Amino acid sequence: MRKRLPSVVLLAAATAPAYAHHSFSAVFDATKPVAVMGTIVRVEWMNPHIWFYVEVTEPDGGVTEWGFSAAPPGVLMRRGITKDVLRIGSVVNVEGFRARDGSNNASGGSVTLPDGRNVFTASSEDSTARSGGR
Amino acid sequence: MKNRLLSSVCACAAALVLSSSGWAQAPAAQGFESSRTPNGKPDFSGFWSQPRHVEPRGGGATTFTKERMPPFVEGGEALFYKERTGDPQLDEPRAFCMPSGFPSAFFGPYPVQIVQTDDWLVMVTEFERATRLIPLDGRAYREGIEPTYYGDSVGYWEGDTLVIDSRNFKRWTLDDHYYVNPDEYRMHSDAFRTIERLTRVDASTLSYEFTVEDPKIFTESWTEELQMTLHPEWDETGLYEFHCQENNRCPGGECGAELK
Repeated sequence: MRKRLPSVVLLAAATAPAYAHHSFSAVFDATKPVAVMGTIVRVEWMNPHIWFYVEVTEPDGGVTEWGFSAAPPGVLMRRGITKDVLRIGSVVNVEGFRARDGSNNASGGSVTLPDGRNVFTASSEDSTARSGGR
Repeated sequence: MKNRLLSSVCACAAALVLSSSGWAQAPAAQGFESSRTPNGKPDFSGFWSQPRHVEPRGGGATTFTKERMPPFVEGGEALFYKERTGDPQLDEPRAFCMPSGFPSAFFGPYPVQIVQTDDWLVMVTEFERATRLIPLDGRAYREGIEPTYYGDSVGYWEGDTLVIDSRNFKRWTLDDHYYVNPDEYRMHSDAFRTIERLTRVDASTLSYEFTVEDPKIFTESWTEELQMTLHPEWDETGLYEFHCQENNRCPGGECGAELK
C-alpha cells in the first residue's frame, strides 16, 4: 500500500545546501533537511540531474516513496560514483533538503550505502553554498 | 570596413584604459615555460576546472561578492537586484533549460575544455555544452547583431596574456547557481562587458582575471582574481554529455508552460 504521507526525519540543525542546476533556492528549502532510510526502487541516470527513488516503510507498515534529485551523471562519474553504485534494491540512508512544493521530493545530498560507504551525491563539488551577501 | 577598423581600435583602446588601472600580467613561476602553439603563443588547450577564487572562500561561495563591487549609479541598484516572486518561471528561468549565459554557465562546477589554434580559442563547458568561439585574428566586433546570452567576444595578446573582451550581452542573470539568496537574485544590464585575462603561471595553473564593467549599474569596473586548474586526467573521458532537456523536472510542476 502506498501512501503519500511524509515519513521524514526532520533534522534539528539546518545546514546550507549544495546547489542544483537550477538555483537551489527556487526549488528546495534549506530550512527543511530530510533524512530517510529505505530501498532504492528506481534510478533515472540522466541530465540535468539524476533522480533516484527510495521506498520508506512507515511504522504502520505503509510505504512512502521519496524522490531525490542529485548531481548530473558527469559530475558524479568524475567523483567515481557510477550508475552501479545506486543499485535497485539497495537499502540506503539519504540526506537532503525537501522541495518547496511540499512534495516528497528532495535534494539528495549524501547517500550511505549498504557497505557503509557514504557518497556525496549533491550537485556541487562543494558542500555548502552561500548567498554572497547583499 | 572603416567602421570595423574604428571599432577594433576603440576596443583595444578601451581595453588599454582598463589595463592601465592597475593591471599587471600574472607572473609565471620561475623556470616555467608554457607549451606554445605554432605561432609561438602560450597554448591553453586542455581540460580545466572552472575559474575559482585563488583564496578559497569555503564551500560553494558565489563568484561575485558585494564587498568587491563598486557603488551603484543612480538607479543601478534597482536594475541589479531582482526580487524573487516565488514563481520559479520568473525567478529561475534556467531551471526550465533556458541558457545560463556568460559568465554563469562557465563558473559552475563543471570542466571547461579549451581548444586553441592560431586564430581561434574555443571554450566549452560541460554544463549545457555551452561554447564560446573567440577569434584571435584581430577582427573587430560584429556590428548590428542582436544581444545574446553569451555576448560577443574578441581576443588579443598582450605578451603571454590572452585578453578576451566580451560585450553585446542580453540582460540576464549575473551569478552562477551558487547565489542562493532566497529573497533576490542579481542581474547584469545590457551594457554588461567583461574583460578576461588568461596567463599560464605554472604547469597546471591558469591565472584568470575577470573584470566586470556595467555602467548602467556600477560607477566603475571591478576585478575578481580567479584561477583555473589543469586536469590531464579528464582527457580520458573528455566532457560528458549534458542536455538539460533530457529529464528536466520543472519546479512548480509547470513544465511546458510558456515562460512569462
